[in-house]
Amino acid sequence: MKYAFYPGCVAKGGCPELYTAAVKVAEKLDIELEEMADVACTGAGCMPTQLSDPINARTFAKAEQMGLPIMTICSTCQGVFSQANHRLQDTDYREEINREYLAEEGLSYQGTTEVKHMLWVLFEDLGVEKLKSLIQRPLDGLKVSPFYGCFLRRPGPIMVPTKEVGGRRGYLEDLTRLLGAENVDISGKTKCCGFPVLTANEESSLGMVAKHAGESKQNGADCMVTPCPLCHLNLDGNQPRAESLKGEKINLPIVHLPQLLGLALGFDADEMQLGKHIVSTKAVNDKVDMLT
Amino acid sequence: MPEYDVLVIGGGAAGLRASIAAKRAGASVALLSKVHPLRTNSALSPGGVNAPLGSDDSAQKFADDIMNAGDGLCNPEAVNALAAEAAGEVVWLERVGVPFNRDGDGRIDRRALGSGSVERAAYADDRTGHMVLHVLHEQFQRYDIPCFKEWFVTSLIQDAGACTGAVALDHRSGRIETFSAGAVILATGGFIQAYRPCTAAVGTTGDGLALGYDLGVGLADMEMVQFHPTVYSAGRTALISEAALSAGARLVNAAGDTVVDAAGLSRAQLAAAVDKAGRNGGGPVSLDLRPVENVASRFPGAAEVVRLMAGLDITQVPVPVRPVAHRAMGGLDTNASGETSVAGLFAVGECAHSGVHGAGRMPGNTLTEAVVFGKRVGEAAAAHAQSAGTRSTSTDQAARDGERLAAITSGGSSGDTLGTIHRELGDVMHANLGVTRTDAGLAEAQETIRGLRDRHGKLRVGNKSRIFNYALTSHLELGNMLKLAEAVALAARGRNESRGAHQRSDSPERDDTSWKAHTVVHQQDGAPKLDRKAVSA
Amino acid sequence: MEVTYKVHREDSQNGGESSFSTYQVDLPEDATVLDGLQKIRDEQDDTLAFRASCCQGTCGECAVRINYKAQFTCTTRIADVTKKGPEILCAPVRNIPVIKDLVFDMDRFTWDKMAAMKPWMEPDDEFAPTENLVPESEMAEVRKTMTCYQCGLCDEGCAVLPVDFDFLGPGAMVKGYRFVMDPRETGPRQEERLAVVEQPKGLWDCVHCYEANGKCARGLEPSSKIMEMRDVSFKHGIKNEKVARHHNSFINSVKQTGWLDERKLVMETEGLTNIGGLMKLLPTAVRAMTRGKMPGRHEKRPGADQIKRIIEKAEESK
Ligand SMILES: Cc1cc2nc3c(=O)[nH]c(=O)nc-3n(C[C@H](O)[C@H](O)[C@H](O)COP(=O)(O)OP(=O)(O)OC[C@H]3O[C@@H](n4cnc5c(N)ncnc54)[C@H](O)[C@@H]3O)c2cc1C
Ligand code: SF4
Ligand code: SF4
Ligand code: SF4
Ligand code: FES
Repeated sequence: MKYAFYPGCVAKGGCPELYTAAVKVAEKLDIELEEMADVACTGAGCMPTQLSDPINARTFAKAEQMGLPIMTICSTCQGVFSQANHRLQDTDYREEINREYLAEEGLSYQGTTEVKHMLWVLFEDLGVEKLKSLIQRPLDGLKVSPFYGCFLRRPGPIMVPTKEVGGRRGYLEDLTRLLGAENVDISGKTKCCGFPVLTANEESSLGMVAKHAGESKQNGADCMVTPCPLCHLNLDGNQPRAESLKGEKINLPIVHLPQLLGLALGFDADEMQLGKHIVSTKAVNDKVDMLT
Repeated sequence: MPEYDVLVIGGGAAGLRASIAAKRAGASVALLSKVHPLRTNSALSPGGVNAPLGSDDSAQKFADDIMNAGDGLCNPEAVNALAAEAAGEVVWLERVGVPFNRDGDGRIDRRALGSGSVERAAYADDRTGHMVLHVLHEQFQRYDIPCFKEWFVTSLIQDAGACTGAVALDHRSGRIETFSAGAVILATGGFIQAYRPCTAAVGTTGDGLALGYDLGVGLADMEMVQFHPTVYSAGRTALISEAALSAGARLVNAAGDTVVDAAGLSRAQLAAAVDKAGRNGGGPVSLDLRPVENVASRFPGAAEVVRLMAGLDITQVPVPVRPVAHRAMGGLDTNASGETSVAGLFAVGECAHSGVHGAGRMPGNTLTEAVVFGKRVGEAAAAHAQSAGTRSTSTDQAARDGERLAAITSGGSSGDTLGTIHRELGDVMHANLGVTRTDAGLAEAQETIRGLRDRHGKLRVGNKSRIFNYALTSHLELGNMLKLAEAVALAARGRNESRGAHQRSDSPERDDTSWKAHTVVHQQDGAPKLDRKAVSA
Repeated sequence: MEVTYKVHREDSQNGGESSFSTYQVDLPEDATVLDGLQKIRDEQDDTLAFRASCCQGTCGECAVRINYKAQFTCTTRIADVTKKGPEILCAPVRNIPVIKDLVFDMDRFTWDKMAAMKPWMEPDDEFAPTENLVPESEMAEVRKTMTCYQCGLCDEGCAVLPVDFDFLGPGAMVKGYRFVMDPRETGPRQEERLAVVEQPKGLWDCVHCYEANGKCARGLEPSSKIMEMRDVSFKHGIKNEKVARHHNSFINSVKQTGWLDERKLVMETEGLTNIGGLMKLLPTAVRAMTRGKMPGRHEKRPGADQIKRIIEKAEESK
């Protein structure tokens, strides 16, 4: 199994621990990664599609040349890619972009590149059996709140396009259980984390952090797991500010998807760089330490 | 006490248009409505709004067609006004935002409503009423007119013979308030909820007609009740515009054979034909929309409402239909400026009878009437208010209404329910005051209605709160409908001929010697009294 | 069939806690939830308050949360909501003050927000003798948008409203869209329209969570419409200053190096003169640095020149 790996800016910037964890975990799972180095940011939904569609077409064309599907580790990247790829299935539109923007570089996108988030890869390509066989340390007793955020789920017709992959709506819960942890539900698990509105309306953004993390905490979770580094930036990085806004302590560790996976595959907290988080993950580390 | 030059009661197409016109004419205006304007009956009309916009059409042709459809009962002044001003109003609606369908030149497209008729209806898919209502509400907001929404008007106020205000109950606060006004416009819609089944929204209970009737205004041509020929109805209703027939839909029996050829039939004739075909033993009549090209995109409203209400897909199967009570032509007797016999009281829209529809309304003329007469009446009311001298508006009526409401919510249960009485009323109206009538049936209906009025009079509402007490307002509405039903039955019994929407199997001929006249019902000592009024030349 | 209605009760004006009332109702198989509510009010409890008008899914008046999902009572069949059990739970739509039982404050929920869109046209040639000439294909798009009932179902699902009730919400944005995209409102009119939708608590406060897309009874995809308006706004020059700075910074960063410089982004967005804003961010930055989390040196990527070329070309063609 081999992928053109698109780590995204945040994993290479604000959340370097995600990159490290993802690369280590992939290796353990026999997923071969060839990192795409010369491609652009997706636009993250912050660039108008008029600018981002051409640069994403370029990324897809590069992967097509490599003959590989793309794997992402960021819901935002995945969401923007999926929507762009959807639009680029329109032949006229794609040809226009090829002609106007890609031809000069000798590139042309044929519309064949598949783009998958690591979470989807686990279930749809690697398979549950294989995954199970590699678990070395079931996370017994760890209580985990899955948090999808928006972009891995919506818009539904694009992110969960067919009945066959309808399970995508429950992969995080499935994975949590598969790894031996206990699933702790919160009402807003598919809601927005607040990151996208941080600049426009900080108070409401922090309000969302307080709501999600607070509810997880209340429901007894030891941590939240998220497939998106932007969710992480807000839920983890801004949790202290959300706390002061609300005037209450939350103190809930937020872990990246590959980190949680890594712990079950036998990596220790240091290898998964849990120490890089803003909210201390000590509670999680301690529980996991007890398991070994 | 809130005071305005013009108080408009009713937030449908007619009320909104009148408010805008009165405001533009320089009057201070407020609008009261028991539901939010966007939730009114006007939102439901699919078919279109008539105007002679085509180069092959003219105001004269339009007027001639209206006179024809009206079967001898039209008031020519009102008809000419409608025909002359329709095009201007429709163009204005377009200018301020109604997204009418376009023809190949980018002009407003027109279509026929009912086969064989002239292509004269401007339309916005089959959601014309919705689009027109929303745009009128936009314009209403533009003029910053106060909107008392979810206020239920309980009475009009009279001083020295003139109407000087109204009393209303605020659903939200439970407060009863007196409004003072130089002119009051009733735009409260029809009373077709007195029928079961019917096509209209639940609030179409004739409140305004009853308010005016109580003040002494006559109710004209109440027997003229239009049935819509192509309505799915089984527990709930879904109306399909007759535009579908012009576009190629067919009326078929269970075997799929065409049972009614709609070509050239007026709405009343079509309703009668569908009714008859349904009784002929060939199984229920269905509207087969499958022959209509691109039916789902041309009739999205029908596709939606039939899917939701009937659970059927118009692109796959024929839809069972029957004639269903739809729109009253009768209403408060007014002239072509909406003036009633009471100074300062105006009426417009479905609650009014200006004589513009005569005995048979052309499909697509109600929306036209609402906007054309809305404008005329709004302007006339503004002029009246501005020229009227000082007025006095007493709060006595509000006190009396308070007592009346208190009486309804005091005392014990009679074992009856509002729903039961309403259903029984609807059933007798449908059966005995339906597509075809007989003297015996009408007499029986009068009897039944009297009995229902007695039962209603004894019925008490247990809920004593005034806040969103819908049982209380339903009680008032049912009282209004019963009062009007009595007038309908009386007028229908009196008119012993057949004309337009009023078909008597015991007097099947049109009788111009005795009945080229309007029926007018007045209230005398609490009882309805029938008069005859000549049709103006 | 025999069903159980469990209905939210509240009388906010008269104080008191909210509670639930339970009613047993016998209804025909194909009855709607509204049929049952009407029957309850008529036969069992005339104090029950709920709204309805057209009873045929055409007016948008009857939104209620039925078994945790906001929908119209008049189009929802009891058979469809009792598949998992005979109980039908009716509650007011979320995030909104209740006035009585299932009647909530539509003014604050929808009407005031719609009005904030200045939703009317004031054409210079309002009384011209003939209509505007518009191709049918363009008018058809406007018509589709105008099928919006202003029912508020999409607002109910919005991610932002629970934390910021003053956000204008997707319903109002759809109303704004109807004008922004109207071919009869071009040039300076369209600029004004964009300024209206871009007002504070408007277009840019949406977190593009796409929740609303699945909620609209008329399939209007409100979230997608918001994103489409953002594209239009970008073409015309973003009018919300802070957002504009963020965008420029973002695009410049990608243009210069192929990817995003988060540190610069934060600084430029807040605006270098905005001391207050910077101070607020400082604690996060300090915490981040002590944990080795501050983004490292931002280097130019291979391929950055091509990326820059593409973006610049795309910007030109706007
Ligand atoms: C299903 C259907 C389809 C139709 N199709 C067509 C068509 O295709 N073309 C056409 O021309 N016509 C059509 N009609 C008829 C047309 O829609 C109505 O006749 C017209 O909308 C009436 O408008 P209005 O403004 O007079 O009254 P309405 O729209 O009924 O408004 C009445 C207003 O009065 C208010 N009100 C009533 N009583 C009170 C009170 N006591 N206190 C305060 N406020 C009160 C109500 O709240 C409401 O705002 C159709 C009607 C229906 C029901
Ligand atoms: S979308 Fe985000 S994480 Fe993804 S590449 Fe761009 S900024 Fe980076
Ligand atoms: S996309 Fe925006 S407006 Fe729509 S629901 Fe999400 S946050 Fe609300
Ligand atoms: S966009 Fe859809 S859900 Fe939102 S208010 Fe309009 S009709 Fe209702
Ligand atoms: S009552 Fe009109 S949509 Fe339900």
